[in-house]
Amino acid sequence: MNNQYLSRIKIQFVGFLLLMLCISQLSFGQVQKVRGVITSENEPVPGALVMIKGTQQGSVTDNNGNFSIDASAGDILVVSFIGYNSKEVAVVAGQTTYNVSLELSTSDLNEVVVVGYGSQIKKEVTGAIQSIGGAELRDMPVSTVAQKLQGRLAGVQINQTTGQPGRGMQVRIRGQLSVSGGSEPLYVVDGFPITGDINSINPDEIDDISVLKDAASTSLYGSRAANGVVLITTKRGKSGQTNVNLNVFTGFQKVPMRGRLEMMNAEEFAQFKKEYYEDAARPVPSVFQNPAQYRDKNNDWYDALLQTAPISSYNLTLTSNKDRLNTSAVVGIFDQTGVVVNTDFKRFSLRLNTDYQLSDKINIGVNVAPNYVFDNTPRSDGDRGQGIIFNALHTWPVMPIKDEKGELTLFNRFPAETGNIFAYPNWVRSAQELTNETTRLNLLATSYVEWKPIKNFSFKSTFNVELNNSRFFFSNPSTATSAINQAIPTVASSIRETNNNLSWLNENIATYRNTINDHAFEALAGFSNQRFRLDQYRIQADTYADDRILTSQAAVNINRGGTFNAVQEWSLTSVFSRFTYSYKGKYLFTASARGDGSSRFGVNNRWGIFPSTSVGWVLSDEEFLKENQTISYAKLRSSYGITGNNNIGNYTQYALINNTVNVAFGNTLTPGAAVTSLDNPNLGWETTAQFDAGFDLGFLDDRITFNYDYFVKNTTNLLYAVQIPQESGFTNFNDNIGEIKFWGHEFQINAMPTKGAFRWTVNANLSFNRNKVLALANGIDRVYGSFHITQVGQPFAQFYGLQKLGNYANPEDLAKSPIIPGRSTVGSIKLADINKDGVITFGGDRDDRTIIGNPFPDFSYGITNNFNWKNWDMSIVGSGSQGQDLYMRHLYSLANLDGVFNMVRKATDRFRSPSDPGEGIFGTTVGGGNVTGIERDWPNSNFVWDASFFTIRNITLGYTFTKLPKAIRSARIYASAQNVLVFTNYWGGQNPEVSMQSNGLGDGGNLSPGVDLGPYPIPRTITFGANINF
Amino acid sequence: MKKYSIILLVLLMSFTSCDDFLTVVPETQLSSVTYFKTENDFIQAVNGAYAPLRAYYNGPAWTLGELHSDNTFYMRNVLFGAVENTENLADFSVPISNGTTPNSNVLAAWRGLYLMISRANQVLDPIDAVEFNQDSKNNVKGQALFLRAFSYFHLVRYFGKVPLHLKPIPGREGSSLPLSEEAAVFDQIIKDLVAAIPLLPQKSTQLAGRVTQGAARTLLGDVYIYRKRWSDAEQVLAPVISSGQYSLMPSYAMAFSKNSTNKNNSESVFEVQFREGPDGLQGTFLYQHLPYPLSVAEVRSLFNTSNPQPLDGQGNNIPTPDIIAAYETGDTRQAASIMTITVSGRPGNNKITPIIKKFQDTHAQHNNHGVNWPVYRYAEVLLLAAEALNEQGKSGDAVGLLNQVRTRAGLAATTAAGQAQVREAIFKERRVELAFENKRWFDIIRTDRIQEIIVPYGKRIVANPLDYYFPPIPGAVPRNNVFTNLNKFFPYPAAESEISPYF
Repeated sequence: MNNQYLSRIKIQFVGFLLLMLCISQLSFGQVQKVRGVITSENEPVPGALVMIKGTQQGSVTDNNGNFSIDASAGDILVVSFIGYNSKEVAVVAGQTTYNVSLELSTSDLNEVVVVGYGSQIKKEVTGAIQSIGGAELRDMPVSTVAQKLQGRLAGVQINQTTGQPGRGMQVRIRGQLSVSGGSEPLYVVDGFPITGDINSINPDEIDDISVLKDAASTSLYGSRAANGVVLITTKRGKSGQTNVNLNVFTGFQKVPMRGRLEMMNAEEFAQFKKEYYEDAARPVPSVFQNPAQYRDKNNDWYDALLQTAPISSYNLTLTSNKDRLNTSAVVGIFDQTGVVVNTDFKRFSLRLNTDYQLSDKINIGVNVAPNYVFDNTPRSDGDRGQGIIFNALHTWPVMPIKDEKGELTLFNRFPAETGNIFAYPNWVRSAQELTNETTRLNLLATSYVEWKPIKNFSFKSTFNVELNNSRFFFSNPSTATSAINQAIPTVASSIRETNNNLSWLNENIATYRNTINDHAFEALAGFSNQRFRLDQYRIQADTYADDRILTSQAAVNINRGGTFNAVQEWSLTSVFSRFTYSYKGKYLFTASARGDGSSRFGVNNRWGIFPSTSVGWVLSDEEFLKENQTISYAKLRSSYGITGNNNIGNYTQYALINNTVNVAFGNTLTPGAAVTSLDNPNLGWETTAQFDAGFDLGFLDDRITFNYDYFVKNTTNLLYAVQIPQESGFTNFNDNIGEIKFWGHEFQINAMPTKGAFRWTVNANLSFNRNKVLALANGIDRVYGSFHITQVGQPFAQFYGLQKLGNYANPEDLAKSPIIPGRSTVGSIKLADINKDGVITFGGDRDDRTIIGNPFPDFSYGITNNFNWKNWDMSIVGSGSQGQDLYMRHLYSLANLDGVFNMVRKATDRFRSPSDPGEGIFGTTVGGGNVTGIERDWPNSNFVWDASFFTIRNITLGYTFTKLPKAIRSARIYASAQNVLVFTNYWGGQNPEVSMQSNGLGDGGNLSPGVDLGPYPIPRTITFGANINF
Repeated sequence: MKKYSIILLVLLMSFTSCDDFLTVVPETQLSSVTYFKTENDFIQAVNGAYAPLRAYYNGPAWTLGELHSDNTFYMRNVLFGAVENTENLADFSVPISNGTTPNSNVLAAWRGLYLMISRANQVLDPIDAVEFNQDSKNNVKGQALFLRAFSYFHLVRYFGKVPLHLKPIPGREGSSLPLSEEAAVFDQIIKDLVAAIPLLPQKSTQLAGRVTQGAARTLLGDVYIYRKRWSDAEQVLAPVISSGQYSLMPSYAMAFSKNSTNKNNSESVFEVQFREGPDGLQGTFLYQHLPYPLSVAEVRSLFNTSNPQPLDGQGNNIPTPDIIAAYETGDTRQAASIMTITVSGRPGNNKITPIIKKFQDTHAQHNNHGVNWPVYRYAEVLLLAAEALNEQGKSGDAVGLLNQVRTRAGLAATTAAGQAQVREAIFKERRVELAFENKRWFDIIRTDRIQEIIVPYGKRIVANPLDYYFPPIPGAVPRNNVFTNLNKFFPYPAAESEISPYF
């Protein structure tokens, strides 16, 4: 319902505009003043449009639904309002009062959709745009906006790569990706393309989100549009109303047992070790001779890091739109404790939006939104070098977490003859004692003046500023470490980093709109300047005398490599224009273009032009469909355009000198310098040319709507550091190269299977995304990722390695099969001899590697069900992906058959002899690293597993109170569960959406997606909340 | 519409200042547009050309030059599999296909040496066009020419034919060049060094640690000897000996740099400069020339750092029984070069393991030391000169120089006489005097002794793996492809071959 509130204000605005167009065209006749009240379900409808049919004459209802208009007998009043079916009433002589009751429409075709630099009625949109109201997302207990959008949008793949609160959301629109440029969409908040983190915005401030997918919708954002654009509109007051809303929820999060990576327990591990020595005909170390002694002494190191954690959120929203002042204020507190020990995420936010009508011709507005985010996450993600979770999984379960006194142990080590080659610090201590915190202070401020000097013409000038200050502090006391095999005490170290960035934008836009008979058109032209500057200060120091003071002045060593000041700066100057034309609202045409000049582009290539055009045809307005009872709406649309991606780095075009290539002479440090990169004065943006064709259908009075889009796009001029022979002294040359083709289908259906007392709406989407690399650089036909290859003629970033066939079953099998000379034995991994040269080879000219998996899904889908019955409401959101694989990078050590680390439980059922060949996943332990090393060190298909999943993202059950004290306008309580269940056969961990770098630090990026090293888990969250309007 | 046009006009006018607005140059980094204009720019740039020496001597220089010989071997640790890159060099099984290899040490040597060449070229190309103090300019040019020649001398001995880059590359084009014949590469090396010698000051007037005239002469002498140009070698080396700039240190042990003292001493002709501390100038090679695993206590007893860490993985550059046996009785260099330690984590009963001692010194921080690497010592100048003389039939003069080295080692004068015997004596002396200084492999190939030395060495290892540090664990024996790649030259690095059209 809130969705309609938001629509109301927009249609009112459009109503006013339409009215302004008509004022001069008053008709003559027996004019009388007619009045009335427009209602719906006995409630007044403010902002409804009352027009006299066939004329441009009209009026808009006030806050109480009242209207008055001059009309003659015989005129027909057309009453319309977004979300309602319009109604016609004939004016009769003598009757001056006409009260009209509107019926709720099941269709939202008349809703206004926010588009780039303006808004459009949904019916007349010719691009591929999907919008979603903030109210639809309000109950979900998560920290980021992107989490709320998961599964809601066709063609938008949103993955949560790690469970660290407030982080790890990866958004890809229409599968867009780049070799090395950024692939995140452009986020535009109230018209301002932001440079900071979208996740620091309080989701409760958001009124509406529009996702622009095709080139016609995005091309007005020019060189930043190729990854798609997300427009975010924040809350405004509803016409004539003052509203105070309190939205609170509180609850807890817990990591379910289901889906966790199954590791050996202490007894199973001891049994494995015993068998390891027995199979190798070596004496079993005493500690493993009797595995049963560990039966009730398991140490689950992973579980020890986890806790049940509270989460709560408080939001107070005040909106008022009275007289000439429209104000809204949102105050929010979000407080989440993480499910891994010592994780905190807190956000305090404020937003104040004010619009003031200075005169009939001038409007001004100022929005100010400061927020403060505090985030402490232990070094949870990462590999053996620093990931606490990864390391906990590896720790022998026979090693005690707590000593006899119940105190946490300091570190554990078994005698060398047990095969224990690493000392394991106590990870719970590590999580507790390491500080890894970021505090961010952000300010987003936008302001505008709008001047309407003459009818139909407006001029708007905006000035926007974004300030972000982030302070990072990492400290590692000598008593703790996040790395395996670092002895305690270790070297105490710390990092302190401050980032200040400032971005400002000035934009000036002139708009002319008019409707002449059946011709409606709008022309828009503007120019803008935006500038960004980041100042970075970093100090890294180590070797402290006292763990209590870990700031640089107390350090023995300042780490030169980690201590620096840096500046990142860019500027962007743009001109843009759009022309929209509609004939009778059924033949639609839009053309637009933007020119971007950017400091990032090489001096010989400074300006890019990004044009687009689109057409639409509303078939259902044609005679041959008008009377059709089944088909209530039909529109064909198509678009083509060119957009750019300017995420190519700020100084990539320049040859840079590194003047800290220092040397020692004697014992004296002497400054040195070297040219470290080559310049490219022709460097430019990545270009994407996109064609889109689709249709929108409505059936049964739009009770069922169906949308379909097909797109095909070609991205060329990809930024790529083309590898050059290092005999040149350089590693690469930054160039625009290659071509990737993307294509896909998007389906979306909205239906209301039942209405009336029990109302059920379904919203489902399905998308297919494909890509293929058509060209890379001259002379280069492949680029490798961590365990991936991007190769001409193939989809992007395919998993690449040797193909596993099984294990050599017996001596005969070994004798007749291709082997790895000197290493293959009975029971060791048997790999495919792809090049048929009789020998298994990894890399080089006799390489047997091949494509072993695909990290991209065959298709993705989402389904949202909403139920309303009396005072009850319920929603269920689910989404999934089918056919994608993940690379279990952690198996290289969690299935190290030498028993160096704890192991996955599946390794209990490994190859032990020809008569006991096991499950076929893991091979023999006999022969040590020379044999087992193949299985773990050579990337092969044993690491690649299907990760298709379906996740029930959210279930919310609400109850709205009807009998309320006078002060309370409405009240609703609800219970919400997030990440309710994940259905998947993937066994490598509980997050099938994972994507990590091969060192576990951050997202694997475009060339190396879908790698799992066991990230921060995603909890199930249960909350209870209340939503009260005063 | 008039107003619309006015706005358009305003809009167009606002672009006049556009170029300034759109020019954003890096504020915290220099770019090549403004560099190479002053004396200081060139001094810093030539300093930068020395920097790749550190990574080269911490890594590939010893894996290719010493581990790949009969002086040192690796220590098999069955728990580690991903160590083929050093194993293959130690046991002569470097994989080769179509003349290329994926071996990472070979790749690192190639890249490190060419990085040094590129930096020297960056200095040499623009320097003549810029006016500054002639003495200073000569000094910078001399150093850059030396570093370029030094790099090519290593490359040509590792690979034979190599691309010959003598100018900075302009862009992607020209980033690879065809292979130049071995002779052409040597011609350029000699040309560079002949040019460098008069430009460079003597050691006494040069800042300690920089390239000197003596260093350039020694390098050129080494080049001539490799090319068997004996009289040229004699002539270029003689002034080094007569210059009075160099002398042997009183004892062999004193010839080597300590962590922060005794650097660039009177015996030192050229050494790679390391400096301990957090500035990234440190050496780490001491930690790689060790048997693994080592416990914290064992690491502490070696280096006495404040933060010792356990070491795991696979140990490398462990002195072989062969080198230990090569010392004559009474040779003080043995005790100065090799020591034994107890490795408690070593499987089996024999925990006593030899390690290289000559570079050993205590320091403050784990895996961070300041011990310099001796590239050329005066002792080698004497041995090179002796060889040049002997090969010209002046064996008597040669023996005199040889005996200077032997006397300092506590040994009696050599009993060798006649060209052939003196040749063998010098060859043997070089082995023990220059042990672990990355000379052995080059000595073997330039004297054409792969079959004579490496083949029997391989047979000894296969026959007695326990003597060569294999653990007494079933299956832990030399692989069946050891000592199969006995080529003089290393294959080209596969990663470079893939993107070069020329090899």
